[in-house]
Amino acid sequence: MKSIAFVFTRAPHGNSSGREGLDAALATAALCEQVSLFFIGDGVLQLSEHQQPEKVLARNYIATFGVLPLYDVEECYICADSLAERGLTPESPRVLPAEVLDSAALRARLSQADHILTF
Amino acid sequence: MHYTLLVTGPAYGTQQASSALLFARALLKAGHQLNSIFFYREGVLNGNQLTAPAGDEFDIVRAWQALQQQGVTLNICVAAALRRGVTDEQEATGLGLAAANLQPGFTLAGLGALAEAMLTSDRVVQF
Repeated sequence: MKSIAFVFTRAPHGNSSGREGLDAALATAALCEQVSLFFIGDGVLQLSEHQQPEKVLARNYIATFGVLPLYDVEECYICADSLAERGLTPESPRVLPAEVLDSAALRARLSQADHILTF
Repeated sequence: MHYTLLVTGPAYGTQQASSALLFARALLKAGHQLNSIFFYREGVLNGNQLTAPAGDEFDIVRAWQALQQQGVTLNICVAAALRRGVTDEQEATGLGLAAANLQPGFTLAGLGALAEAMLTSDRVVQF
């Protein structure tokens, strides 16, 4: 079975990258047991709690990240360096448990994936 | 090698789709297998039959169609397409839309088709 990584690099609102990336990850998780998620750069903002996207006329897809464990997606990694650059701490409340890794460790994990999609 | 391409850039406005087309042609020329190309996000606009470039410009929508005639399946994410105003006859009728505009050669598909293609490919390249 191939392992497939989804990399989230964009902020949650302002474009549909995160929402459509999550849709693709969920669809893939239904068929593949080895799906992992990586949150890098502005992508670390995807998992922040208490977002109110309806105020910018956008659908609230953020809560849907929380169902990933039900799809047996356990490997979720978030970049410590990106968090720090944005004034977030490793303990900042998030909608999905994600392992905090420095950028070198994160790259090492990512390099293990057979296929990588970026959103 | 078996390849799958994922195109997330529009028919016009960025170089993503034209790079993907050139890459697809090069793959076939080199003897690789390219079973399917999946169009997602703004990539669905590559299947908009109403795209009308000027006479001296490259017509990528019809160029994709020619690739399909060489045996490459052109899958378009149905949800992403409908959100962006690209629909086939069946969806248009079901949703009560005024017209259909999917270029012949393209097929509306679910995201599961992308997952299946990735799981059976040696390489996945995203544009």
